[in-house]
Amino acid sequence: MLKIMIKRLFYEDKDLLSNVDLAVQPAERILIVGQTGQGKSSLLNTLNLMNQNYDGKILFEGKDLREYAPYELRSQICMVMQEPFLGEGTVRDILQEPFHFSANKHNQNPKREQQTLELFENFKLSASYLDKNTELLSGGEKQRIALIRILLLKPKILLLDEISSALDQKTSGIISDCIFKNYPGAVIAISHDPLWQERWQRSWKLENGKIIDSKEL
Amino acid sequence: MDINYLGLAFALLLLIFPILIFLHLKLKLIGQLFTSFGRMIIQLSLMGIWLEFLFTQKISWLTLFWMLIMISNAVFTLRGRLKFQRRILLPILATALGSTSIIIMPWILFMVIRPQPFFSPEYAIPIYGMVLGNSMNSLALALERFESGLSDNWRAYYTRLGLGANLWEAALPTFRKAMHASLLPQLLNIASMGVVSLPGMMTGQILGGSSPLVAIKYQMMIMTAIFSGVCLTDYLGIRFYLSKRFDKYNLPLKEYK
Repeated sequence: MLKIMIKRLFYEDKDLLSNVDLAVQPAERILIVGQTGQGKSSLLNTLNLMNQNYDGKILFEGKDLREYAPYELRSQICMVMQEPFLGEGTVRDILQEPFHFSANKHNQNPKREQQTLELFENFKLSASYLDKNTELLSGGEKQRIALIRILLLKPKILLLDEISSALDQKTSGIISDCIFKNYPGAVIAISHDPLWQERWQRSWKLENGKIIDSKEL
Repeated sequence: MDINYLGLAFALLLLIFPILIFLHLKLKLIGQLFTSFGRMIIQLSLMGIWLEFLFTQKISWLTLFWMLIMISNAVFTLRGRLKFQRRILLPILATALGSTSIIIMPWILFMVIRPQPFFSPEYAIPIYGMVLGNSMNSLALALERFESGLSDNWRAYYTRLGLGANLWEAALPTFRKAMHASLLPQLLNIASMGVVSLPGMMTGQILGGSSPLVAIKYQMMIMTAIFSGVCLTDYLGIRFYLSKRFDKYNLPLKEYK
């Protein structure tokens, strides 16, 4: 599904990773681990065209990422960031916003309202949150809403950049559970949470400019 | 009625009040006051002599040439004022102000005033000066708001991109806010016209001997031309800026000073 063949990943003058050769299958759960400054976020950002500082090729469904229209690719490989940005208005408004983007207009689903409510239930949020203003949400609630917004888009690959770092153990556990149970696509996540590290089947450990893939150990 | 030079000198003598206030408060603005008024006197005198020549000669190519000088001056002044992405600004500012000029000026001259000849400098130049001056100031504000709206909140922009937005969709909320910030003061100013103050152009015309009824028609025309020009310039300026500010992956280009 995704084939990463990066000869060199860099940030300004500094080389971060070299000779990366990895493949991701549908529905796989992969955790990226490693110390700060090893290039975890830089690597994750290459996968949805947010970082171009690399030499090499990344193929998604057989086609080089750079040949996709950026919006077309990003509607299929979506990312949730450490500090999510929701936007202004009610939760309902911001959940609908991505469906106004031209890349997602084809993604119309008559059961969306029902799926939204199911996701709210799974993420342990009551339906009354739909009419809440986003400014009134806590950090953990914002993060869960940001995930629900992405899951409703049904992307093929989900990229998570340290989304649990500012959350308490309980919320982090809820999120981890929900992603495992409910999301059918592949997930590539950066996380320092031991709970996540125990559970994730496969890991890419970044160390001294190389990636150690647990699948090959 | 003309003002004679003695009268003008008495007008300048009014500066005695600000000078006394500055001295009393030990406000260090006296130097700036002399510089500002000195520059104003020299610049306006030269402009008066030049426009007198232009208006009596009525040469259309010279009028057009002067309008080109005016827009070049506006573009370089604006570029000097904006402190970001300077390397890409020049063509953006020139195209935005140029496009507005090409739309608004023929409209006003050919359809509204219809002077003989069409390029009569006494109409074209003052009207162009007002449209251009206002468009320039408004574009500076709109671009500053747009750039700061983006750079103060890249997270919002990247989040929208990450949800499948294209460049236009990701930048649209910031675009709207910049346009709003730039256009609302203009609309409020238009709404207060005739109630709070008599506009400068209308006052000038009345003092110059025109009937107030003629003066209000000119004022309505110029306010419409200015607002339409400002709105077009802001819109085109931000659109051109948007197309140059990002690479083909919709990622922001590095800051060019």
